[in-house]
Amino acid sequence: MSAMSLRSLNLPGVGTKYEFQTDKGDTVAIFFTKTGIIQMYTLQKGCHTPSAAEMTPVEARRLGNILTGAIIEADQESVEIAFSALADLRVTIHSFLIPKAIAGKTIEDLQIRAKTGATVIAVCRHDTNIVNPAPSFVFESGDAALVIGESDQIKKFEREIMVD
Amino acid sequence: MEGIVLALFLCLLLALVTKYLSVPVIPFYILAGVLLGKAGLGLVTSDVISRFFSEMGLIFLLFFMGLGLKPERIASNRSAVLKSGIIDLNVNMIIGFVAAYMLGFSLIESLIIASAFYISSTAMAITSLIENRKLMLRESETVIWLMVFEDLVLIIFLALISAGNQNLIIFLVKITGVLGVLYALAHYGKEFLISILDRDDELPILFTFAAVLTTASFSMYLGIPESMMVIALGVAFATTDPDAFEQHARPFKDVFLVVFFVFFGVTIDFSGGVNWFMIAVICSLAIVSKLISGILAGIVIHGSALSGVEIWGNTIGRGEFSIAIAVLYGSPVVGTTIAAMVIVTSIIGSFTAKYSTALRRGIINLGRKKAPPYRLHSGR
Repeated sequence: MSAMSLRSLNLPGVGTKYEFQTDKGDTVAIFFTKTGIIQMYTLQKGCHTPSAAEMTPVEARRLGNILTGAIIEADQESVEIAFSALADLRVTIHSFLIPKAIAGKTIEDLQIRAKTGATVIAVCRHDTNIVNPAPSFVFESGDAALVIGESDQIKKFEREIMVD
Repeated sequence: MEGIVLALFLCLLLALVTKYLSVPVIPFYILAGVLLGKAGLGLVTSDVISRFFSEMGLIFLLFFMGLGLKPERIASNRSAVLKSGIIDLNVNMIIGFVAAYMLGFSLIESLIIASAFYISSTAMAITSLIENRKLMLRESETVIWLMVFEDLVLIIFLALISAGNQNLIIFLVKITGVLGVLYALAHYGKEFLISILDRDDELPILFTFAAVLTTASFSMYLGIPESMMVIALGVAFATTDPDAFEQHARPFKDVFLVVFFVFFGVTIDFSGGVNWFMIAVICSLAIVSKLISGILAGIVIHGSALSGVEIWGNTIGRGEFSIAIAVLYGSPVVGTTIAAMVIVTSIIGSFTAKYSTALRRGIINLGRKKAPPYRLHSGR
């Protein structure tokens, strides 16, 4: 991280440019234009013509998720956020589909916090969202749970709770 | 009134087609006006309403330009901006002025043509950089800063030309006074302005509209150039929340500016006779002189004449500001000349912008093709 120098630049009339050079000497530049679209350019070391991809904000976010190492599947998604101001605190938010095995159990029954350290922050059920579910919340089969924690805690959740 | 509706409808169709073909729309708005107006079918004439709309278009264009100008940004990149800007200014102003003067225009007319000749279209240059995916090229940054420099020159030009027939000291006192008021408003009223812009109701958009109009009419009342003061208002407001102001001013700018372009075309009058030779000379020189300034800037900033070709390809198109100059200060003959120049350069410019990369490659290959015979010779 420290070796990579990220340059950001405000271009009048165009938008904001972010550019950095990789250790291998390739250059990546990203432009957030005022029209709302995002353009990403990559320039291989020694080449003169960059190649470009144009993205909508949604597409750009999806690319961002892939690059942060998230799992992109139809129903399982995770995002890692790094807060550089908080001693590089990294938090992962991961969505899980609740299997039949734990349907009917409450968050308290499963002892999620005690066993894994992760926290269920939201549950999506039939297209409605329940944010900050209480410990007495009962899971149903087909629920999608959003779990927050450090990446180790998320892995623990996957191993110990999801197979229960 | 029917005239405006007819013109707007035609412009809507043109906008749809040109966006689909990704070519600049401004020359087609003007051509539509020429077709509908005095010089063409005579279906549309300019009246009080269209003149008011056109004026709004010009004022909002300039306000928008002011919002984008951030003096502190220029300071951070001074040397390159100054060098390329000064080359661009001198080469194009001098060629434009000498050409116009030799073609028989008066000194003042030549100065006005030279300014319109010099100033490239910021809208076309930036759209072309984005649409042709050239933002990463190092020349793009030069092009963007050139546009900013040209905007600054336009402000100075507006001030100078309106100061010409006034008592200079009173004029300066008035301008300084209004600038002071605008600055104080933006500085001490910053929190108030932001609180207005944050609202969800009609207040932000009403405030933006009223502020721009008030500044313009107050400047007119004081006898100072409203064009320049509206830019100053933009610069002052840019210190608070420029994105919000852009968002609220954009609908006015977008609609009124179309009226401005189309009615500029409507008022073009060929009845006095058109000197096609003169127009052809100005148009060809407009393209050649940007090539010269582009190559010089390319050599000075990037150390490569080919970079200059890239700069040239994106800055040929003259557009909104050239027409603004024609509307503000031009006589009918000057207006027709500038209109023709805008139409020709913007259409050619859209092709050079699209194919400049291929053009560069072509020039490089041409250089290589010449090389082998030479090598054969030296081999023997």
